[in-house]
Amino acid sequence: MKRGLWDREMVALLLLLAMLPMVFAWLWFGGLDALGRLVFTLVISGIWHLVFMLARAQPPSFAGAITAVGVAMLAPQDLSLLQLILGISFGSVFAELVFGGWGRNVLNPATVTIAFLGFGFPTAAWPDFVAPVGWAALPALAMGVVFGVMSLRLILGAMVAPGVALAFGVPVAAALPVAALVLALLVTDPVASASTRLGGWLNGGLYGALVVLFATGWQGAATAQIAVSAALWASLAAPLLDEAALALWTERRRRRHG
Amino acid sequence: MFGPLFSAGLVLPFSTLPSAQAAPETHITDEAALIPDHGEALRIELLVPEGGRVAQGQPVMRLRDTPGIALVAPMAGQVARIELRPGRQLLQAVLFHDARGDRYRFDTSTAARGPDGLRALLQQSGLWRMFRSRPFGHPPKVAEVAAAIFVMGVDTRPNAAAPAVALAGREADFERGLAALAGFAAGPIFFCEPGKARYGGAVPSQITRLQAGALHPQGAAGLLIHRQFPARIAAPVWDIAAEDVADLGAVLETGYLPPTRLVAIAGDALRETRLVRCQPGADLRGLTQSLVRPGPHDILSGAFLDGRAAHWLAPRDRQVTVLSRAAQPKLRHWFGAALDQAAIAMPIIPTAALEQAMGGAAFPVAAMIRALATRDTEAFTKLGGLSLVEEDVALADYVTGARPRLADQLRAMLNQIAKEEDAA
Repeated sequence: MKRGLWDREMVALLLLLAMLPMVFAWLWFGGLDALGRLVFTLVISGIWHLVFMLARAQPPSFAGAITAVGVAMLAPQDLSLLQLILGISFGSVFAELVFGGWGRNVLNPATVTIAFLGFGFPTAAWPDFVAPVGWAALPALAMGVVFGVMSLRLILGAMVAPGVALAFGVPVAAALPVAALVLALLVTDPVASASTRLGGWLNGGLYGALVVLFATGWQGAATAQIAVSAALWASLAAPLLDEAALALWTERRRRRHG
Repeated sequence: MFGPLFSAGLVLPFSTLPSAQAAPETHITDEAALIPDHGEALRIELLVPEGGRVAQGQPVMRLRDTPGIALVAPMAGQVARIELRPGRQLLQAVLFHDARGDRYRFDTSTAARGPDGLRALLQQSGLWRMFRSRPFGHPPKVAEVAAAIFVMGVDTRPNAAAPAVALAGREADFERGLAALAGFAAGPIFFCEPGKARYGGAVPSQITRLQAGALHPQGAAGLLIHRQFPARIAAPVWDIAAEDVADLGAVLETGYLPPTRLVAIAGDALRETRLVRCQPGADLRGLTQSLVRPGPHDILSGAFLDGRAAHWLAPRDRQVTVLSRAAQPKLRHWFGAALDQAAIAMPIIPTAALEQAMGGAAFPVAAMIRALATRDTEAFTKLGGLSLVEEDVALADYVTGARPRLADQLRAMLNQIAKEEDAA
């Protein structure tokens, strides 16, 4: 039979492709250090995918590489190798692989890994990004939307609260580049974000609102920490937002068709 | 606001049917068969023995449980062989064509006496089985009353013949058929037509006209029913092709069942695509033989999205697809093969492509797919799944390459609901 190309691995590859602008910008400015880190996270993530392939016959997925990219870029710096291994193993296995692999998970494994590492080892410094890396999030998001693997509604929703905050002169500008980076790397994951149309708007809006809230109210937090925390909360709320959107949809149809 | 612009559907490859869809030639194949629909168990009683001669349109068999419903001969000829499964279930009844054969005339005097007379005529003439009742997508039960009927004058599947071509020159029959159907359902009758090429004739005023978009799946009956008049178990919704309504009009006028239907033949194993008028249940080999390029190929009854490999044209199909068979895959490493076989199926990732394939905003697609995968009948019903049959999710199947196929999951779900409903 003939078949189209939108299977899981194609979506994962397109997501990976969309992330390349950020990855290249980050590698360009991070140098060998960043490259080593990326290779290391790729290897650890790959090993866990192999383990689950052999033990549970779960086909390995390029989504593992997406996780690795997210962790390499956003996880706290100067962690020991053991700590990094521990974090990635926890995130990949308990946020993704035990559920049956990418597509059946509830939370984005990279979000879980980074939150685990960030809050588990609070002395480690969060990464800082030079401006071009933050800017590289824009082509990434654009590519994701054009390929149809990221939700435009979610991205627009995420711009609402920061936009309003900027218009009223609230000092959030410093957090925005990293927030955009996290939006492209973690929040727009098509599996872990809301899947309904209204849910997408709400999911993005919640992320944007949390970024603004944390940026103004969380004293002493690094920008990456702010964005990742907002991503974690938004991701946790996504099923609830979907459920609300579905309830509204069924109610509307019930009123229309009886 | 921009909904219709962005949520239209998908442009598919392989749409090779030439725009010259005029004047299709008639091609009656030497053999034809009466077969049940896919997955349908038809317990029958023979009216003509093996070897008997029949006129075109003559009832050959009737259903054992509901003797009023007949299956009629698609062409004049001889009943060559009848194959039954245990329990007198029809497998196939093959007929040989006889060009000098007669045509069978139905008594249409009863049809004038209200809906019951029309029902009897529809059931005797075999047109009854051209209706499809949702939920579940089977021909309607013998005494079932439709809550609404959708007359499908649009077909957006790739390479489909435009129903307008089938109706060309038969406007009077079609309008007579529509007028007859007007009082037949408990609720409204919808006539669905392409938004860009609306039907030119006069449609009776009781009929609601609906315009469908040009991209598949905008013209899929399931999507239109889901939007306009969702099917429920207590309120079944029927759909029927416009050509069959014209056939009904012809039977009402003359008493003779039209002998052909318009069928599009397309696919990548053909030298040329073609429109033909052939009899129902036509022999697909005979139909495509002169068109096929040499080499291994598969013949499907139906569009390449929802078609099934078949020998005979399936009862409701108006499309034949001939696909070249892929070369035998190379021998794979045992480890890869073992892994493939043991692997759990890959989940479907919600993307814009999937949403478009299910008609944009019509469904919360991800929730629907989750309900199918988890066999959650309650959520499935709530999301409007009862308006769907296999062909409505065929595009999503194609786009995502889902395994197991969504169409199979949907069928399993519908069967389960039907079983629970029967038990209750």
